[in-house]
Amino acid sequence: MNSVSDLGSIVSRSLHDTLALSLPLFRPELCLAVTVVLLLLCRMLPVLKMLDSAWVALGGAAFALFYAWSDLRGLPGWLGGDALASRQEIFTGLLVFDSLTAYIRLLLMAFLVLYIPFTKVSGIPDREDGADFYTLVLGATLGMCLMASANHLLMVFMAVEMASVPSYALAGLLKGRRASSEAAIKYAVYGAGASGIMLYGMSLLAGLLGSCHLPTMARQLAGLAGAIPAGNLGGVEMVLVLGGLMLAVGLAFKLSAVPFHFWCPDVFEGAAAEVGGFLSVASKTAAVALLLRIAFGLGMPVAVLPGADSSSALAGQAAALQGALLGDARHFMVATIGLMAALTCTLGNLAAYGQNNMKRLLAYSTIAHAGYLLMGVAAAVALSGSHPASARTAVSAVAFYLATYLFMNLGAFAIVAFLRNALRSEEIASYAGLIRTSPGIVVATGVVLVSLIGLPPLAGFWSKFLIFSALVEAISLSAERPLMLVLLVVGGLNTVFSLYYYLRVLKVMTFDPLPADRPGEALSLVSFPGAIVTALAVPVVMLGIFWSGLYACAQLAGAFAS
Amino acid sequence: MNIVSLSAGCCLFATGPLTEPVGVVHYLIVGAILFTAGVVCMALKRNALGVLMGIELVLNGANLNFVAFSSPYLRGAGSATLGLDGQVIALFVILLAAAEAAVALAITLNFYNNHSTVDIDRADDLKG
Repeated sequence: MNSVSDLGSIVSRSLHDTLALSLPLFRPELCLAVTVVLLLLCRMLPVLKMLDSAWVALGGAAFALFYAWSDLRGLPGWLGGDALASRQEIFTGLLVFDSLTAYIRLLLMAFLVLYIPFTKVSGIPDREDGADFYTLVLGATLGMCLMASANHLLMVFMAVEMASVPSYALAGLLKGRRASSEAAIKYAVYGAGASGIMLYGMSLLAGLLGSCHLPTMARQLAGLAGAIPAGNLGGVEMVLVLGGLMLAVGLAFKLSAVPFHFWCPDVFEGAAAEVGGFLSVASKTAAVALLLRIAFGLGMPVAVLPGADSSSALAGQAAALQGALLGDARHFMVATIGLMAALTCTLGNLAAYGQNNMKRLLAYSTIAHAGYLLMGVAAAVALSGSHPASARTAVSAVAFYLATYLFMNLGAFAIVAFLRNALRSEEIASYAGLIRTSPGIVVATGVVLVSLIGLPPLAGFWSKFLIFSALVEAISLSAERPLMLVLLVVGGLNTVFSLYYYLRVLKVMTFDPLPADRPGEALSLVSFPGAIVTALAVPVVMLGIFWSGLYACAQLAGAFAS
Repeated sequence: MNIVSLSAGCCLFATGPLTEPVGVVHYLIVGAILFTAGVVCMALKRNALGVLMGIELVLNGANLNFVAFSSPYLRGAGSATLGLDGQVIALFVILLAAAEAAVALAITLNFYNNHSTVDIDRADDLKG
């Protein structure tokens, strides 16, 4: 074997793969990486120290948003075209670029572009901490982009760690506060433990299936039943289940799904509201995307080899879908995700009842919304085996939910942060009588909270409606019918439960008497904070009325599941 | 966990693990022991540094699995291995563990500055 020319061809092939194929699809992440480096460099040079790091970060995020937008527009299914899956593996199969990657990346970048002005106006971080804060935020967002496009267990773990480790530091941003340091240590210890257990589960799955590449693992899974003597199959299945459950621990932690939700209220209460908004929106979006990646990656094998004959690959896929173990794997994933969804939703909503701190209430609301999102994922995975078209619709429902969730939840956290600046308190009781001094902010809070409940005509209504209609479709097509029926009932009941605690906040703001010592107007809509809140609340109303454009994008994202 | 992973090893090699030459099963057993020790350490230690050490043990247990699964010598001819993937993952995990430990230690130090203790059970201001 001529090893020298072999090496040369490998190098030239990987150079071509990296420079010509992969990097052009990686531009948003590159923008973020360059911005992180710039932020660090700015502190070293005395001239550039004058530059406010928020503007540097915002500039980088805007470039990244532009590239993410042009990537989404460049997809073959854009604007009424045939929304075929445009799956392309990049960086030798470590990452995958498809419509879900493009959509989630666009959401994350849009989040950054809204988030950085919000933190600039709200005053946390102060100018001294700004460079640290934005370095951590952009670094974590980079990890979240990788979570949305991971196609290999190494990337899954790396991306989860890249998103988590900066988040631990962010939770401890208010260094001198007891509560903040407690939040950070709880988050770091639980998070590191969960990712360790996830890694062990990954090692079991990878060792058993002989690969770390998700589509290859799925094909191995499909072929496993034939390759192993019948007597050993039970043991193999047990190890698969164990590995899968351990992997689920890490994912559930990122999603703050029951029973791994306990960190969420403590961290949100202890950390600044700005950090809570970041964890609640960006981290959740990326975690749902990663869950979709893993569930569909392991449950539906696709043509993996670049340049493989597509017709034979399709035939192989059809045959592989019939694989007995693969069906079992899907059933197991649906059962796990569905059970977690029902528990998460119910516990989140019930625990929100007794809360007096607004950040803690929003933390439980975040947990409850993770439950609704998991319901959509469960329906999508249940439908994926038998009805791919309906599975695509279910994925689009989840994608739509994530987009509306960005505006409503970031809006809620922005209001908490600005009211904290005005009232020096985050207790719900301190919001008493706000309507008399600052009616604008109460209307904005009303829009955001009613949308979180899911009442028409706001954006939250359509997202809940789409999730529930995906469940109904799964029931009517009898894919995992009993579980889907349970999920539908639980989801409906929970929506009713959630009315009370969201409306209680509004009731305190409107009906309770104004405290005598309140100094004048707390927050006007005609100010920088008011403009930020308006910029977040108006899309909630607009998306409730003109939702079809966003839904078209979400349908594009759903096309990845085919 | 220990027993389950042991049986995992037994499934891969249906023969008794103690009469064979050293194979992947033996590494899996050591990995499972490390993992179990780490989980027990995480669950029982009250000192934050002890918990962090437990996390390192868990990561190293998983690393040992990855390296063992990737070795063609241990798994015998003809059976699928992870190849270089497993070893590369192990290297990356070592790196990430160091980064995570650095951040976690810094957070612990900050916790100590505010609470004058590193006892995890004393972190009970936030609840409800």
